[in-house]
Amino acid sequence: MGATFRESMGWLHTWSGLVVGLLLFAIFWTGTLCVFDREIDRWMNPSTRLVYAGEPIAIDGLREEAGRLSPRTAPWAIVLPTSRDPALWIGYRGRGGFERTLFDPLTLKPVAPAESWAGTRFFFPFHHTLHLRMWNLGTWLTGLAGVAMMVLCISGVIIHRKIFVDFFTLRRSRQPHRLLLDLHNTTGTLGFVFYFIMSFSGVTILASVYYPSGVWVAFEGGRSGYVRDTYDVFSRPRLNQPGPPLGSLDAMVATAREAWGGLNPGLVRVFHHGDRNSYVEVRPSIEAEVAMRTDPFFFDAATGAVLYRTYIRETSQVQQFLTGLHFAQFRHWTLRWLYFALGLLGCVLIVTGLLFWIESRRKAHAAAGWKGVGFVEGLTVGGTGGMVLATLAFFVANRLLPSGATFMGGARYELEIWVFFAAWVLSFAHGWARRGAAWIDQCWLAAGLCILAVILNAATTGDHVLQAWTDGKLAVAGMDLVLLAGAFAATVTAWRLQHRRQGAASKQFRHHPLEGQSS
Amino acid sequence: MEAALIVAVLAICYLGFALLALSQDRHWLHLCGERHCPPGIAGSLRVAGYASLAAGLCLALLRDGPGFGSLVWATTLTVASFAVVCTLTWRPHWLRPLALVCQRHAR
Repeated sequence: MGATFRESMGWLHTWSGLVVGLLLFAIFWTGTLCVFDREIDRWMNPSTRLVYAGEPIAIDGLREEAGRLSPRTAPWAIVLPTSRDPALWIGYRGRGGFERTLFDPLTLKPVAPAESWAGTRFFFPFHHTLHLRMWNLGTWLTGLAGVAMMVLCISGVIIHRKIFVDFFTLRRSRQPHRLLLDLHNTTGTLGFVFYFIMSFSGVTILASVYYPSGVWVAFEGGRSGYVRDTYDVFSRPRLNQPGPPLGSLDAMVATAREAWGGLNPGLVRVFHHGDRNSYVEVRPSIEAEVAMRTDPFFFDAATGAVLYRTYIRETSQVQQFLTGLHFAQFRHWTLRWLYFALGLLGCVLIVTGLLFWIESRRKAHAAAGWKGVGFVEGLTVGGTGGMVLATLAFFVANRLLPSGATFMGGARYELEIWVFFAAWVLSFAHGWARRGAAWIDQCWLAAGLCILAVILNAATTGDHVLQAWTDGKLAVAGMDLVLLAGAFAATVTAWRLQHRRQGAASKQFRHHPLEGQSS
Repeated sequence: MEAALIVAVLAICYLGFALLALSQDRHWLHLCGERHCPPGIAGSLRVAGYASLAAGLCLALLRDGPGFGSLVWATTLTVASFAVVCTLTWRPHWLRPLALVCQRHAR
């Protein structure tokens, strides 16, 4: 530990940072990608590259279709389109679990199903479950990482000797580990509030998983009581008697919209379809405000009479604000890009922290004959560079696999996920085999994969940047442009690292900045 | 108008952090070539810097209301300050005109 408070905090920061660093990087990286989850969905699922600018939609025409799709015992829902998620879909419990059927928002004609899990179904669950569903293991690990991030933030401030004097300081002309520490310090200090609030809100969103006892003690009926009290949910049981046909959903939507002051609906859900006690829930869109509002209206399914209007209590409103600012599903493009930039800054923070651990111990470990630095270096290459490569391999695999492809019993979306994890594992092997030189290889590879992804997108869908832009498919054009920017950053980084390595080899001691390390 | 306001929020926060950086001896030396930032000037630079950041908050709230406005401002602070850090490190001459203006006022 250490003799003084600051020294013991230094010990805590160093070693907890090393232990959870890679986990934090995986969470930060996927979280950053999730800022543009819907855009990734559009890019990876070309059938959903529709253009919707908020035209009014009549959904009554879908009533029969939805009733036909869904077995009558389970509720089904119509999820209304937004400009970011332009396909309207009907969600229902089918034979193979939860299923969705997509429709064009303007013609209400069926659209080919989305074949990839893409952003909302792969990266988003990865961000909070790591796709480790057994015993909620992934959720517990991300919770641990979230708490550790808060510990790291606070201990980092305590051990920073000159926060204000060094506030704007990034020295490029000194030793590489000095630049790494400066980068770590500035990104950490300047982004402190964001990292802390994101970790805090992330942990609170999943608090009922981490502290189930609180829910059991405080709410009658345990978890269902908690949901009922917190979200003020209305329900009534099925009567098992045939009822009158479903009334006009559009009329119910209009009633709710007027009461919300013009806010658009996001979801219309029908319970006990066909039963005499059937009812309809209409929820507002979560695009208009920071808070993720869930204050639905409940209507009688046949008459359209209002059965119940939910009011969310103040404490739950605070929780919904925290949830909303974390999920970032609102429509605010400036804020979305600012979140993306801050997410990348967080990735730089984590990588520079790990690299500083390595660089500041390299000589001592080499002199003592220890293997620690080599091991951590390989781990860092695989856990950070490898994460980026796995993401890019995921994109490329998505554009290479033919529609309906299966392999060894895996559906197309599973094949993409296998490619992701295979690329990740291989990156670790590569990191241990090549150590420091692995960074250069992986930067070149990342640049190549970025460009390949852009080319494949143009070749397989015809939506090259200019075409997508003129067609109004800004999500696709934007993703291609970010990939090209990534290719540029990776090329510059690779070139500079290579240059520096050659310089060091030929004993010409030259230094180059390491910016864009995580790109 | 909307677009102009968001550019103004970014610009004014950037300016605020640039002024705060100039009030520090290290960056004053770097940009003005003098060892110390004169105490009176440092004080005014700090006041002007914080005032710029506060003005940024007002503009953000004006544009987006309390919910989005406060988030836009808080996130802009990080991005603008990191932009100042990068400017000071890789393109310090971009801030030299600002430094010259401040230096002239010091005399």
